[in-house]
Amino acid sequence: MASTLILLTIGLPWAGAVLVWLDGNRRPRLQNTLAVTFSLAAGAAALALIAFPSSQTSFRLPVGGIFGDFTFLADGLGILLAVIATGIGSLAVIFSIDYMRGEAELGRYYSLILFFIGAMAGLVLTSSLLLMFIFWEITALCSYALISFHNDDPKAVRGGIKALIITQVGGLGLLGGALLAFSSLGSYEISELLKNAHTLPQAALAWMAFGFLAAAAAKSAQFPFHTWLPDAMEAPSPVSALIHAATMVNAGVYLLARFYPAFEGVPGWKTAVVLVGVVSALMAAVMALFADDLKRLLAYSTVSQLGYMVYAIGVGGIFASQFHLLSHAVFKALLFLAAGAVIHAAGTRALGEMGGLGSAMPRVRIVFITGALALAGIPVLNGFWSKELILENGLEHGPVWGYTLMLLTAGLTAAYIFRGVWMVFYGSRRNTHPLHDAQPAMQVALWPLAVASVLTGLLSGPLGKLFAATLPFHDLEALTTRAILIDILEAPATWLATGVVVMGLAAWWFRKELAPVFRFFLWLGSPARNSFGFEDFNRAVVRSTQAVADLLRHTQTGYLTMNVAGILIGLVIILAILAWGG
Amino acid sequence: MTLSMPSILLVGIFSLFGVGLYGLLAVRNLIKVIVALQVVVKAVLLALVLAGNLRGQVPLAQSLGLTVLVADTVVAVIGLALAVQVRRCLGTLDLHALASLRR
Amino acid sequence: MVQIVILAGAILCAAQAVRSKRLLVSALWLAGTSALVAWLIYLLGAPELAVIELSVGAGLVTVLFVFAIHIAGEEPQALGGKLPRPAAWGLTGLSLILLMMLILPGMGVRTSIPILLPFAEVLWQQRGVDVLLQVALIFSGILGILGLLAGSERSGPDAEKEVS
Repeated sequence: MASTLILLTIGLPWAGAVLVWLDGNRRPRLQNTLAVTFSLAAGAAALALIAFPSSQTSFRLPVGGIFGDFTFLADGLGILLAVIATGIGSLAVIFSIDYMRGEAELGRYYSLILFFIGAMAGLVLTSSLLLMFIFWEITALCSYALISFHNDDPKAVRGGIKALIITQVGGLGLLGGALLAFSSLGSYEISELLKNAHTLPQAALAWMAFGFLAAAAAKSAQFPFHTWLPDAMEAPSPVSALIHAATMVNAGVYLLARFYPAFEGVPGWKTAVVLVGVVSALMAAVMALFADDLKRLLAYSTVSQLGYMVYAIGVGGIFASQFHLLSHAVFKALLFLAAGAVIHAAGTRALGEMGGLGSAMPRVRIVFITGALALAGIPVLNGFWSKELILENGLEHGPVWGYTLMLLTAGLTAAYIFRGVWMVFYGSRRNTHPLHDAQPAMQVALWPLAVASVLTGLLSGPLGKLFAATLPFHDLEALTTRAILIDILEAPATWLATGVVVMGLAAWWFRKELAPVFRFFLWLGSPARNSFGFEDFNRAVVRSTQAVADLLRHTQTGYLTMNVAGILIGLVIILAILAWGG
Repeated sequence: MTLSMPSILLVGIFSLFGVGLYGLLAVRNLIKVIVALQVVVKAVLLALVLAGNLRGQVPLAQSLGLTVLVADTVVAVIGLALAVQVRRCLGTLDLHALASLRR
Repeated sequence: MVQIVILAGAILCAAQAVRSKRLLVSALWLAGTSALVAWLIYLLGAPELAVIELSVGAGLVTVLFVFAIHIAGEEPQALGGKLPRPAAWGLTGLSLILLMMLILPGMGVRTSIPILLPFAEVLWQQRGVDVLLQVALIFSGILGILGLLAGSERSGPDAEKEVS
């Protein structure tokens, strides 16, 4: 049963993608219906998988040779991310009905989104390293294609190529690790790797550990690869909500969480992970404070929150990081979709041109504020529970400097999101564009997310039990929801953090009184806008890749004879090796 | 190397293969490329049947040969259709003029 | 003995097919090659394959070639490819020599495994996957042709929009 559900979760979106593409843009209503149906069906399949968790391989397709077996496994970690991918995917597709109304080439849009949803589900449900790499690449391809969806806009195309190159450079780390595992262990199975990690030679294991860390950092836009995510905001808002907030960027965190038992013994790895997480979180929070584009603000916020998840893994809190992954996926998707509604209405993305939109868009205001409160970590909402759990883990198991900086970041988080809310919905109107509240399809997507932001905290108990039952290598213990929630409420770390959050809010509210203090920090503004110099590093990576590609272009002239000659030369080399190599 | 019948036949089959291969490298017309490809595949078919004969596995060799034949026919058909389209859209079948990726 | 003669004939026809200046003549030489190869396959003990090769290679493919050449039209043949002649000879010769070096020494070994099933049963039972693949290939070939021929009915830019 589980294997059928797994195949449905991956296959239904792909079937939908083909069908939508075949329609050929002649009937947009049909395309909308097909897209929504198939993504909802995939969501149902993923939800049904919750009833069949297992720590054993559910489905094995022997392919043989160097490809090993293609195996699929539905354990807690996989089911969580598959449900998030398909669920939030369906909501994003529903939102797109209104957001992309009147756009040309809907077929390309929907088929890419559906293809992506299927690939993401496949990435988390597979237990073969090679297959994971293949799905990883497919998600990167779809992300690039969707960022440059408006391919007559040079900024969008540049953003797409930048995202592609940076995530692919990281992907090399994943491929290298997969091949190393195969050559040392003879199999691509993840469970094999987790079981026998200690038998691998130290050097190989270290290369794998840091290779995977690089791949995760590039995919999840962590330091030092964090500049592609803000530039990826050229994508349509539903795409940003799905890919760059709720699913693809979580793939890096998923990778680290999945392979944590194998790498936690590598000297220096855990510290490196903590460092990456803390620096990303802090830097991105500062950059968000100075952002003047609504979507870029949310992008920096995503980088920062992913930093929290990475930090949690570094201190050993796997459950805390995945719990925060769930909360973040829900409230960040909510924020992006609500921001999409605002941008759709106001016709601009610049914060400076918004203001006073609250009275014209009350429903959007409510859901946005709900998401903002969850992000800031205000009690009762899901962000509070998961963030406090992370900080509690950090205090108990991690370095003190890490904890202090993350605490500071929590305060900054509250400050920047409050600033965002204020600049968009309150104050005086700086914009004369005719406004409208969120349209029906948008609301159908927004309200469930808002409700979920309040309620997913209650899922912590069942989630913990699911993880403990199906992740044998991770050493987790399961507690009931009540126990977890009370534990969080009673921890001193929680009260400390809440205090800092309140200070962050107060800092913004009393900004006029605190103006002299802020003027001291204004010098941070310009470097913050330039991503503290990392923009140049990333741009150098992109430029050198494109230079190498240009150089290799000389071998591709399109002259058929030369291509055949090339094939023959390859044949001769292989035959020579066979004849004399033995 | 013995001068037995199978060896001579094999040398002959390889020569046929070589003729086709040389053709792939030396012709300048797109349709001639497809002709050369056909010659190569015929040599492969002969080699398969010869191998089947020598090992006593004639039916197996025949089924494999059938697969190769079908695949090659489909390739030839689509290749010719493509060549016709190329002629229609680009106006020429000359490989030298078709190298449009060249800077 | 006859087999060697037929094989030599096939090689000659193939050489002429590759060498000739006119496309139509080339196609006819190819038909000749097909016929001789089919006869040789029959003499080597594979009658079913020989019949299929004759009908497909000397029949279907030749008709297609003639048809395509007729539609595409002959054009004056320019001389001299990009690759210098010696390089082409050298590359071909090198690959052939290497292949023969690898395969000929093993020719002395003669193992005989008894024939268990006739051709039809082997095709269906043991190589069923092959048959499915062939059917899939033929279907995709037909779809490809239809797509190509349909696209040609409209003018250039429209055809591009349809294909994307």
